[in-house]
Parts: sequence; C-alpha cells; structure tokens
Amino acid sequence: MNKKKLYPWYFASGAAILFFLLCFLPGILGIAYSFTDWNNFTDEINFVGLKNYKEVFQGNSEYVSYILNTVMFTIVTTVMKTIVGLALALLLTQKFIKMKNFQRMVIFSPQVMSYLVVGLVFKSMLHPTTGFLNNFFRDIGLDALAKNWLTDLGLVWPTVMTVDTWKGMGYIMVVVIAGLMSISPEYYEAASIDGANFFQKLRSITLPLLKPVLVNVTVLNVTYGLRVFDMIYSLTNGGPGNATGVINTAVYKEFSKGDLAMGTTLSSVLFFVLLALLYFIIRSMENKEVGA
Amino acid sequence: MKRSMKKIISTSLTAAMIMSLSVGMATTAKADDKVTLTFGSHQSGLPNSGIVQDLAKEFEEETGIKIDFQISPDAQWRDLIKVKMDSGEAPDIICVDTPIGLASSIHMDQYCVDLSDQEWLSRMEESAVSAVSAGGKSYGITFPGAKMYFYLYNKQIFEDLSLEVPTNYEEFKTVCQTILDSGVTPIYEATTNGWHQVLPLFETGGLWLAQDAEMYDKLNANEIGLDEIPSLKTIIEQLNECAELGYYGDDYLSNAVENAKEAVATGKCAMFIAELGWRGEVDADYPDFNAAENLGAFVMPWGDNQVIGVNPASNAYFINKDSKYVDEAKQFFDFLARPENLQKRLDGQPELSALCWPEITSKYSEEDQAFIDSLEKANVVQTSVNYIDSQWMDVGKDLEAMYTGAYTPDDVLQTIIDRRNEQAELQRDPSWTE
Repeated sequence: MNKKKLYPWYFASGAAILFFLLCFLPGILGIAYSFTDWNNFTDEINFVGLKNYKEVFQGNSEYVSYILNTVMFTIVTTVMKTIVGLALALLLTQKFIKMKNFQRMVIFSPQVMSYLVVGLVFKSMLHPTTGFLNNFFRDIGLDALAKNWLTDLGLVWPTVMTVDTWKGMGYIMVVVIAGLMSISPEYYEAASIDGANFFQKLRSITLPLLKPVLVNVTVLNVTYGLRVFDMIYSLTNGGPGNATGVINTAVYKEFSKGDLAMGTTLSSVLFFVLLALLYFIIRSMENKEVGA
Repeated sequence: MKRSMKKIISTSLTAAMIMSLSVGMATTAKADDKVTLTFGSHQSGLPNSGIVQDLAKEFEEETGIKIDFQISPDAQWRDLIKVKMDSGEAPDIICVDTPIGLASSIHMDQYCVDLSDQEWLSRMEESAVSAVSAGGKSYGITFPGAKMYFYLYNKQIFEDLSLEVPTNYEEFKTVCQTILDSGVTPIYEATTNGWHQVLPLFETGGLWLAQDAEMYDKLNANEIGLDEIPSLKTIIEQLNECAELGYYGDDYLSNAVENAKEAVATGKCAMFIAELGWRGEVDADYPDFNAAENLGAFVMPWGDNQVIGVNPASNAYFINKDSKYVDEAKQFFDFLARPENLQKRLDGQPELSALCWPEITSKYSEEDQAFIDSLEKANVVQTSVNYIDSQWMDVGKDLEAMYTGAYTPDDVLQTIIDRRNEQAELQRDPSWTE
C-alpha cells in the first residue's frame, strides 16, 4: 500500500464532527434521557435508573404487545415483500413479457406515493359498506368475501400488512431486477445445456448469486418494518382499540401525553433491537462475501 | 495554463453562486411583504360550511393578510398540536378545544400570546372567557355558545312504530329493539373520529352530581375515585350491551361522524347524538328531509339519566407566541369579533344555534328554547374534572377495543382510572403525590 496516496485523517474531520453533533450526540442523549423522569410538566429532571425499562417489560404492560406487534409486522412484511418482489422481478425479466418497462413502472409507482395518501385511499376503499372492495365482491356475487377489513380483529393485521406489501414490493422488485441483470447469462445457458429446469436454475444459480442483493433488501425491509409508523397511523390509527399499535405509535402517544422519558425509553428499546438485528444481518453478509 | 484555467472557472463559479444567493435572499425579503398567517385546526374546529374561510377571504381583501388553513383529522389533532408546540413548529393561529385552565388541559398559556387587554374580550360571555383563561389571564377567542348533546331522533320513524320518547335505559332498549326489528339501524354511531362514542360517559355528569353534589371537587382532590361512581360503569356496560344487540348497526367501527347526516336524512338510522343545531346542517345538505320539523330531541337516557349536560367550553383560537406575526393575528381576531362578522358566522354556520357573544341573538326557535328551559342542567364532566378531557380520544379507543371484544367494561373503567392516575403523577398533582 502506498501511504502517500492515503488522505490524512483530518480530511474527514468536518463530516465526522457534523455527524457526531447532529446524529450521534442526540442519539446518546436520547438514551440517557430514558433513565430519567423527563416530562413536559416540570423543568426538573431526576435520574430514575431502570424504572422506565421495567415499566415497559414488567407485568402485562401494553408496551410488550406493541413490541410483539412490531416484530410480527416486520417479519411478515419482510418475507412477503421479498417473495412477491422476487417473483415479480423474475417475471418481468422473462423474454415473453411485453412492455416490461411500462409494467415495472406501474408496479413501482405506489412507492412514489406518500404513506399518508396510500393509507387514506385504502381506508376509504376498504370501508365495509361504501368501500370499493366490498362493493366489488357484492357485485360479482361473492357477498361472503365482503368483510370488515380494518375493524375485524382477525383481519386488521393481514389487511395492513397486505397494503404495506403492495406499497413496498415495487421497490424490492426494482432492486432485485438490478441484481438479476448482473448475473451473467452464460450460467443459464450452461445449465440449460445440462438440462436444468426453471426451478433448478432458480435454486442453483439465481438465488446464490442474488444473495448479497437479498441481504441488502432484508436489511432495508427490517429497518423499515421496525420503524413503521405512517402506514399504521393513517390506515387504522392503531385501532380498533389498540390492536394495531406498534412501538412508534406508542412513542408518539407518550410524547403527546408529555411523558417524554417513556417516549425516549421506547425509542431506545427500538434502537437496541435494530442495532442487534443489523449487527447479525451485516455479519452474515460479510461472511458470505469472504466465502465467495 | 490548465491550472490557471481551472482557477478562472472556479472563481467565476464562486462569484455566480454568491450572486445567486444574494438574489435569492432579496426575493425572500420581497416575498415577506405579503404576510401569510398559518391557521392550524382539527376538522371539527372549523365549521363545515366554510364560513371561517369566507371571513378569512374578506379579511385578506381588506388588509392583504392571507390566512392559510391547515386542517388535521380530529382523532390526531390533540397529539399533533402538542408535539408541534413542543417542537416549536406550531402554526401562527392554533385552534384547540377548551377549557385551558384545568391541570390536564393543553397548556395554551405556555405557548400562546396573552390577549387579556383585547377590547373584544369584555363582549364575550363570562363562562366563555373563563374557558380561554388560565392563571387570571385570557389567551383565546371563542365563538360557539354552550354545547348540549341530545339524542336527535327521526319523528316519522317513531310515529310509524308508535314509539314514545324513552326516559330511562329500559325504555331506550325497547325503542331500539323495535326500530331494529323494523329493519332500520336504531343508532348511528361512528368511532373513527375517536370522540363521538365517548359522549355518553361524560355528558351525563348530572348522574355524578346526583350521587354527590361535591363530586367534581372530590374527584379533583383525589378523595374519591372513578370506580366509586356506579353510573359510569353502568353506562360503559350499557354501551357494550347495545353494541352486542346490534343497535349501532354493522359498520359503526368504520363510520365517520361526517356521514351521520346522510344516514339520518335517508332514514337508514333513526337516532344520533348531536347538538340541536345539527338539524340546520342536515337541512343545508338534505333540504327535502326538513330536519327542523322531522328531528326531535331527547336527553341521553344512559344510566337512566334525565339531566342535560351543559358544556360552556368549545374550540377557541389562540396566537402562537413564537409567531412572527402576532400583530397581524390580533388584527384577524379583531376582524372576527366585529358584530357584523359575528352575525355572519352565526348565519353561515347551520349547525350553530347560538354564540357566546350576548350581543348576537340566538337562532333557537321558541319551541327549542322552551324545551331547553324545561330541562334540568348540569355541567359536563370534562370541563370540571381533571384528566378526563386530556384522555378523551384514548377513552374512544378503549371503547372501540371493548366493542371488538378485546376489552371488558371493567378493563375500560380500569384503563381510564390508570391513565388518570398516571397523568396526575406525571404532573406531580399535589392531591396525588402528597
């Protein structure tokens, strides 16, 4: 290595100081506040130790259900978006499909819309009597399928997750298409000569070579899923009751109640969960790269 | 040569950048000449008829000051505006529900301009002034008269089914069952707005005061708990029973208050909790229905209540003290408080029957006035008892959870009590901490 070609460390110091002041420090301060009783109603801040964390995890606190809801939402939407995105990407790179770019654009377009708009549009489309979906089912004689999509406890989560998948799958599809394009066609040709069918090629060529892309996609989906807020807020506002509450709706609620310490505690819990998950995901990615 | 060329290019680019920056700043300064006031409100804070927007246009024509309305859904406004005020991003004019003087209210006195010296304040009703005051100072301007929520009912449906107005819960149930059997949804309920379903709980304060005339003071002093008020639990159980019996129909968890007019005017639903003035709103949208004639009113008979709850507070407008345009906002309030504009507001807002400005005559018909005069009255709970109004929307969610089966009526009551204690302790209320 030619040491003369390396830039001195202080070239990066400007960016590092900005990052430290604007990102790192507030983050650490936030975690520090979670050990206090900081609230809106008094200027006094007292150290309370792990009291807030105990409150989150002890007994049958509603916070635990919010955390479980968040984890469940993250896992299911990550799997659904990856499977659907991958399937669409495979489909829209096939030769027999016409107007591929137009179709890709249509599937990608929900990604461009704001979460609030998507939430409000679906809220009206899913209304049990006046909504488009139920009216459509009734018109084609499938009355039994007309349900209370957003108010039935058994259906509300699948509905929310389906809408979220619909919005997010286009993005995943585009990323996977880029990955697919980078796979050399020679592999497929060689496999075809050996008599491999579509699924054999998928299992032995496409998926292994797409692994880095899929890991990235998973990181994106997991970080989004754990931080989800706008979609739930606009679609159900955490309801019916508190059935679709997630960590970030609870954080918002606590901040608005004036219990700032509890808000930062929940954010810190989210931060630690995210950090731990990302550590493992990125490590697994690094291992793969070394292996390759 | 190459190096000097680079120098020339970079110098000229820098010069161009500085010039464009200074031009940009100059245009901003110029644009500042025309003042735009931002006005943040929840949906029900502004009349559906758009009269406030019309008045704002007239104000703009007169003064050149533009008002930019930013409207948020009811269910989210209270949380949203608190977060915005705390983060210093609140609009110039803020519309929130009053009173602001309770310990559990949104503390507008911390965020808003003191308006105690304004001329119009002396022309407002005393109860309205107290609703916008805290610590001896007044901070807001408000217009609607005292609120009273009744069950408005379709007289034709009652007549066809030979029904009498119910005066207790058992009679109310019989009425609902008869209406349901006839194929009509007895009650229009809408939980998506978050507030409407909560009215039966706290508009029936007469029952609380009948149990103990000092009840509100005792609750504020933490000498008695909500679990010691049997009528509260009874009403929660009755609400649940009516939901289970199908009296709210099938879609009440997806319904919005705004669609009540259509449901009632088309005869799909027979009853709806609203103010008397709501008939005017129905008339404006469905003139053929003739709501003024066809909709009667009776006191909510939950828990056998027969006392009408009076809420002297309503939404009010405040001026953000961090606003750059405090004087302009005051000018707008002066404009709204002119007698001719007060009259315009009352005339242009079909659902409003009276203003809290005694100089403007109310729209109540003689019959309505006589009906109101005949009733026993009591102040509603949320304007008198701490930590109720601040959790209004949360209680709405608790009731929603009860309707879906996730909560029992006991859970709902316990959650309200817990939240009240939590808020009191957070605010270090001496009645709780000492």
